[in-house]
Amino acid sequence: METVDLGHLMAFDPTHQFSSLPSSREELVESCLQKGRELVQAVANALFSLPSTEDLDGPIVKLPPPTTKLPREKHLPKPKPPTKWETFAKMKGIKKHKKDKVVWDEQTSAWKRRYGYDRVNDDQDIPIIEAKSTDEPGEDPFAKRRADKRKRVDKQEKNRVQNLKEAAKFGALPSHVQLAATALPITGTQAAPKKVSKNELGDVAGIAATATASGGKFDKKLEGEKKPKHDHKHRKFLPVAEGKGLGSKEKEQTDRVLNKLISKNSHEILNIDKAITMYNVKKEKKRRNQRGDSATSTSSKLKPKKNLQKKSSNKKGPSSSKKAKSKSK
Amino acid sequence: MRTLDENETTLVFEKLFKFTGNNLKNIVESPSHEGPDREPGRYCFRLNKNRVYYVSESLVRRATNVGRENLVSLGTCIGKFTQSGKFHLIIQALGILAGNAKHKVWLKPTSEMSFLYGNHVLKGGVGRITDSINPGDGVVVFSMSDVPLGFGIAARSTQDCRKVDPNANVVLHLADIGEYLRMEDEL
Repeated sequence: METVDLGHLMAFDPTHQFSSLPSSREELVESCLQKGRELVQAVANALFSLPSTEDLDGPIVKLPPPTTKLPREKHLPKPKPPTKWETFAKMKGIKKHKKDKVVWDEQTSAWKRRYGYDRVNDDQDIPIIEAKSTDEPGEDPFAKRRADKRKRVDKQEKNRVQNLKEAAKFGALPSHVQLAATALPITGTQAAPKKVSKNELGDVAGIAATATASGGKFDKKLEGEKKPKHDHKHRKFLPVAEGKGLGSKEKEQTDRVLNKLISKNSHEILNIDKAITMYNVKKEKKRRNQRGDSATSTSSKLKPKKNLQKKSSNKKGPSSSKKAKSKSK
Repeated sequence: MRTLDENETTLVFEKLFKFTGNNLKNIVESPSHEGPDREPGRYCFRLNKNRVYYVSESLVRRATNVGRENLVSLGTCIGKFTQSGKFHLIIQALGILAGNAKHKVWLKPTSEMSFLYGNHVLKGGVGRITDSINPGDGVVVFSMSDVPLGFGIAARSTQDCRKVDPNANVVLHLADIGEYLRMEDEL
């Protein structure tokens, strides 16, 4: 009878036996396939018997947790050899016991961390050190304190590396150290010989090929050697012809440049000299009209209107209107 | 053949703006009726081998079939970018400049020949001049019968022109239609 483990989507039949050993290989394959098909069918049956929710792609079921225990892929990690302190502590019978993370600081009368930044009994908090009779003259007590601290830190680092070396001999380096092991000064751990990848090789070849005065332009190319990679950016231009009609981007660009140019020169639209002369000429005309008899005033009123109409109609051909103006001058 | 980038467009437009002022809009937006397309297209600027061409878009689309090396010219060549990146107008731009010119100078028939040989325009040769020209403006030079002859840069403002002696330069020569004969190979 098959047992189905839906968590792994797996089914197997521990009791299956061939009734008679098949004679040829084809038969064996055939019977194996048949058994396999039965087992897959069993998995499918079990799957469809689970409670399902409808989805666009079809029914969706939630798989139960797996019941079969599969063997580990990697071997168990080796036990770490004890560090020097651990052996010493065992010899002396020193036991580890838990300490609080925060401690009451008498100096500042506040709760402070036991270690690290802003810790209890921090040297940085002591602004004055009392002189002692044993002090050497001409020595900065603050500098000495800093140097001592540095020394202690260095010593601890040395001890740490020493312990790691010992662990590396047993092949029990912690995984995070293993990754960085090449950077550690541990003798005995060997960095895996680095294989140069194809890309790296190509890069080096490219650098060598372009290391001439002409950038490798006139060198003989080897068989199968590619052109050196061109590492600056290529200039990108708008398309020459974009679909039907002009590219919208090109139109945008020309409009942008044109508007900028026109707005930059917009102060030139008002020509003060011209405006003054025009104003004077108009004044003159008015005066002349007033001097003339009032009967012709209606006709004179019509005249400037005509002029206005002409101007608006002639806007497209500025050359003609200008000529007219210069003539009138 | 490629489109102009933003800097190049600015250079070209600034140069054209000197001659045309706000009429530059007409040049950029005028419709083109070239080619078999029913709807009118537009004109655009294209760069090939450092030369700037003013081309209708239907022509541009057809010219994409021709390789850069093989493309000698298309549309109207209006100028070229120098090696140092400046933009120079050439005589073939006269067509679009003359139609949209802001500042104009008309030459007396006697001084036409001198200008067409590549000389500057002297005060004595000026028949007529539009007002409100400032020194440094682009000026299009016409004959008295309104035939465009070339273009140049104003050396003096219109007001100054009235006072100076007749041998003073009014327009500094940039290009004239005599170049079609004199510099046939270079165009």
